[in-house]
Amino acid sequence: MSPSNLEPAFDEAASWNLIDANVHLGHSGVHGELALGKSALLAEMDRFGIRQALVSHFTAEEYDISEGNAALARDMDVRFVPAWSASPEASILKELEQRKPKAVRLWFSPLRHNFSSAPWSAGELYDYLQQRAILMVVSREELDWDALVVILKDFPKLQILLLDVGYRSDRYLLPLLQRFPHLYFDSTSYVAHRQFESFVETHGPERIVFGSRLPLYTPGAALGVLATARISDEARLAIAGSNLRRLLGELPS
Amino acid sequence: MRSPVPVVDCHGHIGTHPDFPAYKICPQEMVRVMDLLNIESLAITSTRACYNDCRRGNKEVEDVLRQYPGRFRGYITVNPNPEGEAMVQLECFSHFHKPPLIKFHPDLHKYPVHGPKYLPIWDYAHQTHAVVLVHTWDSDPTCGPPLFGPIARRFPGARILLGHCGVTWRGYEQSIEIARNCPNTFLDISGSQSHRTILEHCVNQIGDERVLFGSDMPYLEAAMVLGRVLTARISDESKASILRHNFLRLLHEA
Repeated sequence: MSPSNLEPAFDEAASWNLIDANVHLGHSGVHGELALGKSALLAEMDRFGIRQALVSHFTAEEYDISEGNAALARDMDVRFVPAWSASPEASILKELEQRKPKAVRLWFSPLRHNFSSAPWSAGELYDYLQQRAILMVVSREELDWDALVVILKDFPKLQILLLDVGYRSDRYLLPLLQRFPHLYFDSTSYVAHRQFESFVETHGPERIVFGSRLPLYTPGAALGVLATARISDEARLAIAGSNLRRLLGELPS
Repeated sequence: MRSPVPVVDCHGHIGTHPDFPAYKICPQEMVRVMDLLNIESLAITSTRACYNDCRRGNKEVEDVLRQYPGRFRGYITVNPNPEGEAMVQLECFSHFHKPPLIKFHPDLHKYPVHGPKYLPIWDYAHQTHAVVLVHTWDSDPTCGPPLFGPIARRFPGARILLGHCGVTWRGYEQSIEIARNCPNTFLDISGSQSHRTILEHCVNQIGDERVLFGSDMPYLEAAMVLGRVLTARISDESKASILRHNFLRLLHEA
């Protein structure tokens, strides 16, 4: 990372060893020029002091899982941690096995890969992830709260990272975090007034990880929230990096 | 992160909200956050008035203005229902600011911004050169940005802030289109969606003089919007205009 490219507003972020939990790579049929290829994405990460990112591929989200995963493998970089995409088909599970995943991203909605999140549909996939301690990554936009509860109840050791929870989520999110110890969420859209700071004060820093939604959103927004939260340095560092690295299993930084 | 320029914020609130728990919303806590981020002053509308009761809500704003002189400016929030009540509110709280600052929330008040009950209020805003902050949302039938072109042309004395610029990327495109064609419209960049490059796009399309910093505090996190502005690929002069000078000019305090 070149320090000279770093945004002056966030020069402190260079020491946080940031890993971003919510990043997309590649061409998008929906988001046009906002989508970024590998080198442009890395340059944008440099600007904001983001050392590593948990990355999924737009092709896997918008079109074909196998092809998207192949594109992700092709564009891989030492600073990317792949969030391979999956669906319940046996062939996809077999492909997944060869990738030795640390994280798997799921797209349930009808305009994505259109499968039920219920255990009768995806139970084998959840079981696979749970057995191998692979992090399941899913956007709240893909899964309603009650459907999430079914998964959490039936697969109690499955680690789930919920992205894009939204700032209106606390009456759902907070009781679920209390009840299910392997549920985590990212900070991208947790942006009500002093919500992030209040969460850390009340619940501690362990269950929240930094996310920006790059390249669709500017990391300046999520970094602004993290940088100005009146929390301890230890808590900030945990959210910036060590929480997610722990979930993914000791990654080199 | 702290703003290098003392910020004059065009979009804030006081009070709680029904749809999720509120944190640190008392004016004293808000002032602490404003000091943390270097927000010199915040123009506030009553959240109670947006949701439920304009009379009580505007009175609450009055109390905060008295309690914290210089840190807050007050919008008079009006509801077109019941008919005639809005004019009473405008009269009653006309001492908040000159020119008047007026807030509409057509979405929560369930009445379209171009409906006939709003006409006397728009006319008042035109006559008094009021600054009118209106909540907007992408293509919404009560407050979508495309509805504002005819209003802005019919009431050129009103200075219309398109609150949140319609929020989504498409909402921003709609807002920019209105701003390009109507010089009395302005873009308030508060909102929960932090589209990458959108601020650069706004400045490229309409210049930096009609783009205004709004935080939506204490509904949304002010540091989110500040982070967007400070890291946008625009000049430092443009950032200073957005963070401070543009709203001061609208307030006739530049």
